[in-house]
Amino acid sequence: MTNKKIFSRHRSFERNMGAGYLFLAPALIFYSLFFVYPVLFSFTVSTKRWNMLIPLSRARNVGFSEYAYLLKDEMFLGVFKNTLLYAIITVSFTIIIALVLAVLINNAKFSVLWRFIYFAPVVTPQVAIGTIWGYLYRPSNGLLNSILGLFGFKPVYWLTDPNIALFSIMATAVWAGTGGSMLIITAGLKNIPQDYYDAARIDGAGPFKQFLHITVPLLSPTLLFLTATGFIGAWQVFDLPFTMGRNAPAKSVMTVSWYVYETAFQSLRMGRASAGAFLLFCVIFAFTLFILWIFKRGGIKGYE
Amino acid sequence: MNKKMMRVILEIIRYTVIVFGAFWMVLPFFWLFSASLMTPQELMSDIPKWLPEKPQWNNYLQVLKRVPIFTYYKNSLVVAGSVTFLVLFTSSMAGYAFAKLRFCGRRILFNFVLSTMMFPVFIFLIPVYYLMKLFGWLNSYLALIVPFAVSGYGIFLMRQFVMTIPDELLDCARLDGAKEFKIYSVIILPLLKPALATLAILTFIGQWNSFLWPLIVTSTAQRFMTLPVGISRLSLAFSTAETQHLIITALVYQVVPMVIMFLYLQRYYVKGFVLSGFSNL
Repeated sequence: MTNKKIFSRHRSFERNMGAGYLFLAPALIFYSLFFVYPVLFSFTVSTKRWNMLIPLSRARNVGFSEYAYLLKDEMFLGVFKNTLLYAIITVSFTIIIALVLAVLINNAKFSVLWRFIYFAPVVTPQVAIGTIWGYLYRPSNGLLNSILGLFGFKPVYWLTDPNIALFSIMATAVWAGTGGSMLIITAGLKNIPQDYYDAARIDGAGPFKQFLHITVPLLSPTLLFLTATGFIGAWQVFDLPFTMGRNAPAKSVMTVSWYVYETAFQSLRMGRASAGAFLLFCVIFAFTLFILWIFKRGGIKGYE
Repeated sequence: MNKKMMRVILEIIRYTVIVFGAFWMVLPFFWLFSASLMTPQELMSDIPKWLPEKPQWNNYLQVLKRVPIFTYYKNSLVVAGSVTFLVLFTSSMAGYAFAKLRFCGRRILFNFVLSTMMFPVFIFLIPVYYLMKLFGWLNSYLALIVPFAVSGYGIFLMRQFVMTIPDELLDCARLDGAKEFKIYSVIILPLLKPALATLAILTFIGQWNSFLWPLIVTSTAQRFMTLPVGISRLSLAFSTAETQHLIITALVYQVVPMVIMFLYLQRYYVKGFVLSGFSNL
């Protein structure tokens, strides 16, 4: 009996073995063609001078000279700085504002209506958001400056002043991202047992203490999720800077995706674009791991 | 008494913040709708107007005459619909394999899938464009659809959900002689429906709004352009002051249907996060 059981289990294991690969086949074929091959290909391209018009085999080999060039290129370093700044500021502001709003709205009257309103930008195409805000930010006939004018402020050159343009775009990104993060934080809030708050209140803790000592620590897995996905999204941002920053002075708002797009598909410098993409990817990858590590040290586990 | 005062003040602050925020959330949408009904002169006037003098409903007809909005709609629907279908198919299959089947290298492969999520799109622009060129897929639906047929996030989500299905259920079916594919299609897929709905909506929104890739692969063929690409080109095509109002009206065509449709579906947005397992304390 026991023997038979072991035997049958062994058989079903054997059968599963092939089935496993069969079920994975579409994904594995896809990943080899659209993931592994492109990464290797990209690396090869980054050591060549290639414009995609001739076969790659005929392209001149330039070794790591594009990397060396980029590390000294002011334009590229500016792009790098913009992307870093953009990611850190938008992710942290979005999460902090979303956290405060989620807590405020959680038990408020009309909470469904508020969530509805705050969520609308999440489903609006970023290209449309960028264009709409582009109009609101117009210096002489935009709505924003006219509101500022009511309070006696001078008009601001939101998208054309090189010191302000990137921050204006970040403000739009935070505006667009808050609602989504807020909904997710709300889902996390609903998981915190009410007892904790009741106990804290009996001990005399006010709303601020409850927020700091119960809500924030118990939400940390949620905050990890939002931070990790937020950064992964922010590193590759393209739509908003590209639609809003067209009239900004060169390189004051350019981000990595935009740089790669411009260098590869407008100037046809495939090697330089690939090298730039690779360099930034390394930094991004290290940064993402670093964030996961910080959270892990704080005792937060990711998936599984 | 003092404590009660404090509470009242806190409540006032709370609603002030909520309403102030809501005002800023609504303002751009309100302005968009209002501006779509203005004349170009009103739009460009030195003192910005909040409302049009006389609503120019004609703007909406004019845009339809000058911009192939319905072609863009059709393209976006075809692309987002096909990608969603493919992602549901590949993710549920792979998710089932990772959650319930045992085979060599399962852990390594799963970690590989997870790590693919950390790779930014800009790494793939050049090589995948080159592949599309080799295949002769540029300026066709294939270039817009096939490179998105598998999603690491989708596989992860499905795997998390399939893990919650009890093994006994599958073992019973196996004892009855069901093949793995039958188990997948008869037992797993029906149970996966809520998770599939979530993944479908997240994928559809993402594809519908996607901009960079369609911009690159349809740069020379207007008849394959999706909504975001088509509309973004209007700022170049209608750059003069007399045509500004057409850009804004076209934006309404782009924004309104999706916002109305997906606002009702916001709960699915949250579900994707809940299923991922991060919300468990």
